[in-house]
Amino acid sequence: MRRLAPYAIAIGGVIGITAVIWLVNLRAPVSGMSAMYLLLVLWLGARWGRWPAVVGSVAAFVLYDFFFVPPVGTLSVNGPAEVLELVVLLAVALVTSQLAGSLRRARASAEALTRESRALYEVATQALRSQEVTVAMAMLCERGTELRSVGRFALVAVDSGLPSALAGGDLSAAELKQAAWSHENGRPIRISVRAGAVTLVRTNPGAAEPAYLPLASGVAVLQVDAELAGPDELRMLAALIGLADLLFDRRRAALESERARGLESSDRLKTAILSSLSHELKSPIASLRAGLTALASPQAGLQADQRELLVDLDRQATRLDRMVGDLLALSRLEAGLELDKEAQNFADLVAGATRQLRGELAGNRLVVELPDDLPPVEVDEVQAGRVLANLLENAHEWAPLNGVIEVGAVPRSGMLEAWVENEGPPIATADLDRIFDTFWTRRARGSGLGLAICKRVVEAHGGRISAENRRRGPRFTFTFPLAPVPAVPGS
Amino acid sequence: MSGRVLVVDDEVEMQRALRAGLGYHDFDVRAVGSGEEAVTEAAAWRPDVILLDLGLPGMDGFATLKALRPATRAAVIIVSVMPDEKDKVRALDAGADDYLVKPFGTEELVARIRAVLRRQADVTAGEPVIRSGDLAIDIGRRSVTVNGKSVRLTPTEYELLRFLALHAGKPVTHTTLLRQVWGDYAIGDTYNTRYVVAQIRKKLGDDPANPRYIVNEPGVGYRLEG
Repeated sequence: MRRLAPYAIAIGGVIGITAVIWLVNLRAPVSGMSAMYLLLVLWLGARWGRWPAVVGSVAAFVLYDFFFVPPVGTLSVNGPAEVLELVVLLAVALVTSQLAGSLRRARASAEALTRESRALYEVATQALRSQEVTVAMAMLCERGTELRSVGRFALVAVDSGLPSALAGGDLSAAELKQAAWSHENGRPIRISVRAGAVTLVRTNPGAAEPAYLPLASGVAVLQVDAELAGPDELRMLAALIGLADLLFDRRRAALESERARGLESSDRLKTAILSSLSHELKSPIASLRAGLTALASPQAGLQADQRELLVDLDRQATRLDRMVGDLLALSRLEAGLELDKEAQNFADLVAGATRQLRGELAGNRLVVELPDDLPPVEVDEVQAGRVLANLLENAHEWAPLNGVIEVGAVPRSGMLEAWVENEGPPIATADLDRIFDTFWTRRARGSGLGLAICKRVVEAHGGRISAENRRRGPRFTFTFPLAPVPAVPGS
Repeated sequence: MSGRVLVVDDEVEMQRALRAGLGYHDFDVRAVGSGEEAVTEAAAWRPDVILLDLGLPGMDGFATLKALRPATRAAVIIVSVMPDEKDKVRALDAGADDYLVKPFGTEELVARIRAVLRRQADVTAGEPVIRSGDLAIDIGRRSVTVNGKSVRLTPTEYELLRFLALHAGKPVTHTTLLRQVWGDYAIGDTYNTRYVVAQIRKKLGDDPANPRYIVNEPGVGYRLEG
């Protein structure tokens, strides 16, 4: 009934105008009265669209012809002028209805867009304002299911391969598995999103299987009725999916900062444990050495052989101290505590290490070959010094008495390449790699930790260390990163 | 008597060993087990040197150091089993004169104590020329010589060397050097000091890989050999 109303109005309007013209003509004929039909057709086109306007124009032509065009009372078309009149009426009907129609459509879509962006704005502000990401996600899923075509809108997080439903209701085990697969392979199932446009891919029409769309660190699981999903709904859906992607990002950032806080506190814990451990292990050795060396001094009045025994014992205590120190240093490195990196002159590191070992190295000839313009390295001074000290100590162990120990360095492809070489016996080829393993040692009395520590420290700086047999004897080569900017401050 | 030494250490064995060892070297030794006792004893007995362990129960080493400073002019040598350079720097910046990592032998300890005592005597005497081997720094004349030959330094280089010389034998932290030579704004930029020290060594004819005058204190700073 409602559909016919515009036509009834069109015909009624034409009849009404015809009656008016007829009444006016009874008194005194007025020319150009037919323009009133034109007004009616214009209005019909703008208000009711094309077909009522066409019906109106045809009816107007017929009635006008019948009542007013001579011979009155007959439907006859005489001459091109009348044909033109009909054509003009029809053309006006078509053009105005077309214009009005597109205007109406533009207004409707503008209204839809306003509605959509307001809805999105609300969801986005609510979602971004809430502290808990999962709350925001739940809100988003709820808004999604409010769309007519969307039966389900769920978000699944995939953390290190394990899926868990975050918002939008529970999922079956099979669905979770499917979601995890989709995320892992980055492959959407039964849906595709390209350039912000959602396309539903129905492989099995009528089946109520959900679609899976992998996002930043999770999956959107959707049940969308393709029949009901108009372009507006799909656009809204795409926008919601984009928002879900952002929320997943936010969730990941939150998780990461939480983990960083955890790591930091575990670093503090490790440091505390190591400090208390070194205190417990080193305090007894400290008392031992203080006591033994006190008694060994000539003023204590002991005999020569007794003092010799005390000196031997002190040497053992010193060895024990060094081993404990190595173990603690290694645990510190294993714990992955942060390096205190700064620009350092390599010569300073060599100086520190040789000074520390001046007693031991007195029996060797130390040759240091460093170019004058050696660029600074970016290292932890204490740790890098330990590498040099350990390598020098190792060289001293193997070098013959008065043998040469050579230390050298050259810059090479962004790194500093340094070496420590001695005139000792060659290392068996099979041992060249194993030599850096923890607790591996060629000496009966060694702890097997010195070179392992070197390897850890060098690698923690992003460098490499290796051993080789040169003509003169074994050489240990290692690399340290050069300092990023050649810092030459004005003095 | 070569001097009064106050040992502050909570381990009785350590106290006993140090009392014996330092006693054999003619030091007058007293030992206490806590920071509170140390402050009292420092004021009452007036020791020349205090050996302060950082890991004390109750009032810890840093707090004790802070409390000791107004009470005494004694040299403070920090002893600690913690080989953490940050602790050393903190202690030196808080007014300690030297540090020694535990365990150590008696000879080493005696050498350190004698060094700080000698330094104190020099400071009291107001010696205008400071020597380190054949290097001589004449503070009054602002002149530096090696083996009698004059060395020309830039103002920054001289200022750094002068500060190390005034504290000869004592480790000076990077932070202290930066503050003294460049001012507060330069703190944190330790490559400044490294660069200037390298320049001074070059002019003094010192081998950077085996320096005779200015030695590195890894992770801490520099020390001019006394």
